[in-house]
Amino acid sequence: MKNKLVILVIFFSYLIVNAQTRKIDFTQYDLSNGMHVILHKDNVLPIVAITLTYHVGSKNEDPERTGFAHFFEHLMFEGSANIERGQFDKLNQGAGGTMNASTSQDRTFYYQIFPSNQLELGFWMESERLLQLKIDSIGVETQRKVVKEERKQRYDNQPYGSILEETFERAYKVHPYKWMPIGSVQYIDQAKTEEFMEFYKKFYIPQNVTLSIAGDIDIAKTKELIQKYFGDIPKGVSDIKKIELVEPPMKEEVRDTVFDNIQLPLVLHAYRIPAQGTPDFYALDMLGSVLAGGQSSRLYKSIVDKQQKAVNIGSIPFPLEHPGLFIAYGITNVGISADDLEKAIQEEIDKVKKELITENEYQKLRNQTENDFVNANSTVVGVATSLANYHVYYGDANLINTEINRYLKVTREDIKRVANKYLNSENRVVLYYLPKSAKK
Amino acid sequence: MKNKVLILFLILFVSAASYAQLDRSKKPAPGPAPEIKLGDYESFTLKNGLKVFVVTNKKIPKVAFNLIIDRDPILEGKNAGYINAAGQLMRTGTKTRTKDKLDEEIDFIGASINTSSSGVYAQSLKKHVNKLLELMSDIVLNPNFTQEELDKIVKQTLSGLAAEKDDPNAISGNVKSILYYGKDHPYGEPMTEETVKTITLDMCKEYYGTYFKQNITYLAVVGDITKSEAQKLVEKYFSKWESKDVSTKTYETPKAPVINKVSIVDRSNSVQSVIALGYPIELKVGSEGAIKVSLLNTILGGSFASRLNQNLREKNGFTYGAGSSFSSDEYIGSFTASTTVRNSATDSAITEILNEIKKIRAEKVSDDELQLTKNYMTGNFARSLENPQTIANFAVNIERYNLPKDYYKNYLKTLNAVTSDELLTTAKKYVKPNNMHILVVGNGEEVAKNLSKFSVSNKVDYYDLYGNPVDPSAKKLPAGLTAEQVLNRYIEVIGGKENMLKVQDKTTKLSGTVQGMNLTLTISQKEPNKLYQFIDAGVFQQKVLFDGVKGRTESMGQVQDMPAEQLEEMKMQASVHTILKYDELGIKTELTGMESINGKDAYKITLTSPSGKKSTYFYASDSGLLIRTMSSVSTPQGTFNQTTDMDDYRDVQGVKYPFKMSQSFGPQTIDLTVTSVEVNTGLSDSLFEIK
Repeated sequence: MKNKLVILVIFFSYLIVNAQTRKIDFTQYDLSNGMHVILHKDNVLPIVAITLTYHVGSKNEDPERTGFAHFFEHLMFEGSANIERGQFDKLNQGAGGTMNASTSQDRTFYYQIFPSNQLELGFWMESERLLQLKIDSIGVETQRKVVKEERKQRYDNQPYGSILEETFERAYKVHPYKWMPIGSVQYIDQAKTEEFMEFYKKFYIPQNVTLSIAGDIDIAKTKELIQKYFGDIPKGVSDIKKIELVEPPMKEEVRDTVFDNIQLPLVLHAYRIPAQGTPDFYALDMLGSVLAGGQSSRLYKSIVDKQQKAVNIGSIPFPLEHPGLFIAYGITNVGISADDLEKAIQEEIDKVKKELITENEYQKLRNQTENDFVNANSTVVGVATSLANYHVYYGDANLINTEINRYLKVTREDIKRVANKYLNSENRVVLYYLPKSAKK
Repeated sequence: MKNKVLILFLILFVSAASYAQLDRSKKPAPGPAPEIKLGDYESFTLKNGLKVFVVTNKKIPKVAFNLIIDRDPILEGKNAGYINAAGQLMRTGTKTRTKDKLDEEIDFIGASINTSSSGVYAQSLKKHVNKLLELMSDIVLNPNFTQEELDKIVKQTLSGLAAEKDDPNAISGNVKSILYYGKDHPYGEPMTEETVKTITLDMCKEYYGTYFKQNITYLAVVGDITKSEAQKLVEKYFSKWESKDVSTKTYETPKAPVINKVSIVDRSNSVQSVIALGYPIELKVGSEGAIKVSLLNTILGGSFASRLNQNLREKNGFTYGAGSSFSSDEYIGSFTASTTVRNSATDSAITEILNEIKKIRAEKVSDDELQLTKNYMTGNFARSLENPQTIANFAVNIERYNLPKDYYKNYLKTLNAVTSDELLTTAKKYVKPNNMHILVVGNGEEVAKNLSKFSVSNKVDYYDLYGNPVDPSAKKLPAGLTAEQVLNRYIEVIGGKENMLKVQDKTTKLSGTVQGMNLTLTISQKEPNKLYQFIDAGVFQQKVLFDGVKGRTESMGQVQDMPAEQLEEMKMQASVHTILKYDELGIKTELTGMESINGKDAYKITLTSPSGKKSTYFYASDSGLLIRTMSSVSTPQGTFNQTTDMDDYRDVQGVKYPFKMSQSFGPQTIDLTVTSVEVNTGLSDSLFEIK
């Protein structure tokens, strides 16, 4: 009898746990021009997030026009047939909104958040710049300068600012991931207005965009408005070609040193890994947490806390649509050499390859995963963004509710297996960042 | 049947027509403005004085606890950093849990707990909340400070300070605080390697023992939890926490400077300038002026569409972004306008920032701009409510700063009632375009010279990373180094004495532009001291001749013989290897310092001619090459300071010459590129002849 009660209690608490995870309901459909629409209603606050994910990023660029997708993103704020130059941000803010955009290797993302009574204004603005963007030479020349300052601010004038650029250009030889979305100054300088219009016609077409909306909306009314503003935008002439370039496997370790304006050396390992969404990627994501998720994680505990060789340490798979990189790095404590730190990191990596993680560690990992998953969708713009990403990359927006199962499916054996499969020296770039004063 | 078809047609027609009717030129009108409802909070106080606020929000199954110690700022003096260290030590173990155990237990439930000198923040899933509070209260009530953990923290802090030395934003923030508040104010005193090394365990223990008391603490509980649940938990875990009276502290109120002051931190490898303009200001949280000031700031620099960003980014393309902020504070607040711009735009950017600051103080804001800004801020307020911590912050602020209970409930009403007249009055009170610190962290060599105009005293003050005044020209010379060694090294790196002496004549051709005109320059020299120089700038031509004794300038039909003073200069310059003849010519050399020239450390050699005329030569400490000369040049038009920078040394028959030169002469700069150097072509004496 006593045993039965225990089982019942466990069963009960299990039910409660499940009930705690909020399910996110949504509606999705395609317009006749191919534009995909996702709607999520949340009436708690009178605000609405309108997001547009254009499936074009730096990997779609001409190698002689790197930085183009991002430069173009800046021009999307210039104006349209019915919105004068300089008015776009004023229209948004004047209606109580906020907005921004970002460009990654794989997509260009725009969002506006409005009080819910300004939903139609948002549709007008977004449909205008999808249908009839206007760019002139003043706008192009101004943004050319702005983008170059952005590059300096983020990459060139920051300690370690160039690290991803330096890593990716060594990890890829063929695939466009070898350059960063910010691109090179040379090509930012060369980009011409006509080229932007060609790019616009090619990539900014309804069948290449996902419109994802979350917040205080009425679903039926919103559908009507979407039809009104986006329904008559003509479908693009040709669909976008998939990138066929496949990066061949690395044959041997690439090892290099960058001399930067820094004080503390940094060591980085970047291993080539499969694309996001693959089973091995989930296992690698969890491996990243084993190594550096929280102060009890292996790299942190051993190298930062016990050996005091690093001030900062991290390990994370860089999520990309095509095969990407698993990055582990550390910044040395004062007086510690890069070699010394690298050895310490390598020891921990060798350990996860040799031995299974403990049952206790495994349970901790699952608890951490659950905590992170619950955290992810706390704002309307966060929900709209996640829905769009899951649709664009995996064709399944409902992963917003179910992706956690893919994580929880990962076993201890999987973690050891992927460590052995990918974290090998012939499959990596090793980069040292050293102070310029160390250059002979 | 027929009718039905007709109806169908009609519907099709109508619906098609309704699309065609969409008039895209018209901006759609908004629907009725929605009501923004502020969520409620509840509160209770423990017997010993802990004030607890609960905001229930069941959107996600998480709970967060934010514990805030409310004490006056503390001046740490020569031990600056010990308060931070005490805050970090809190997380390194308790009487019953080692750091390893604590880390393990926190991570195991997927939670996080952060500690600082002014409080503790903890969050987890609702199902782990009991365990979370057990750990959090253990940290707050029973921390165990050990020397071993302090040593680790000190080491980490020293590494952090080292890393900051190359972070221009960190440097700007540190030096700005020192300029605004002074080193004798808790907000201004710098933490340095020296102060951190003095921290002892006793200091940290004393800090904890004095200030971690429940009667001066607020606890905000936010998330999927009711008041009664929270009360049960908090009573269980915190009622044993002791109370003790804590003394208050007062400090002299920092003042804005009486005149504009320009300061620079020289970071020679900077490719951008980090600019900050501002001053300390008395502006209390929730004070009568705070909402108006916030409105004013949003117009000036508080959003993408603000005047500063539109001007510096969208109109001028100086920067990726520009903005401003007023911070309200119980003790002393501040105003700062800031941006990061390319080196060459540094002074223009400051000019534009000052223009916008002056304008907002001089002119009334238009009704349109005012209304749009109110709309924007209303939207911001609504969006901020998505984070349940916002309501908790409101609750704590009302209690902590003694604000009216309905301060935040009335926020939007108060905001929307502000008139443009009131805004102008506010600007006149809080905006001080003539009492500013103007701070630039950047490449001093490239940007400093254009900054003195912003300073009333016409002076630019240099500071190091810790806000100590420095003399920009003072760099430490290596011990024992002599002028002779520097000059000998130069002779050696450009090819050696033997090769230099082989050169008997030399013709250098250069091209460049000045004031938009193309210019070519031919200079011929012949041993021992003959010189011919011809400048051709199209409409303007000039010939200079020196035959070793006499000199002459011919330009546009005018002929002028050189005065004695200029002849002496010619004697020194005409030789193709003057440097080998210093003794013969009676030129004295002295190593007078070390300076940063275009980001390169360079030895400074002062040359004194027999008549006492001085010129300065700079030799790069790494390459040994001559990279700059400075002298005053007398011309028929008067005496000018002339600076010549040299770069791109190339070998011509065994001797290296600079192929790039940049010459500034008074206000003009000429960039010259050497197109050819020919040596030993057997130049005839007649070329130098003065008829």
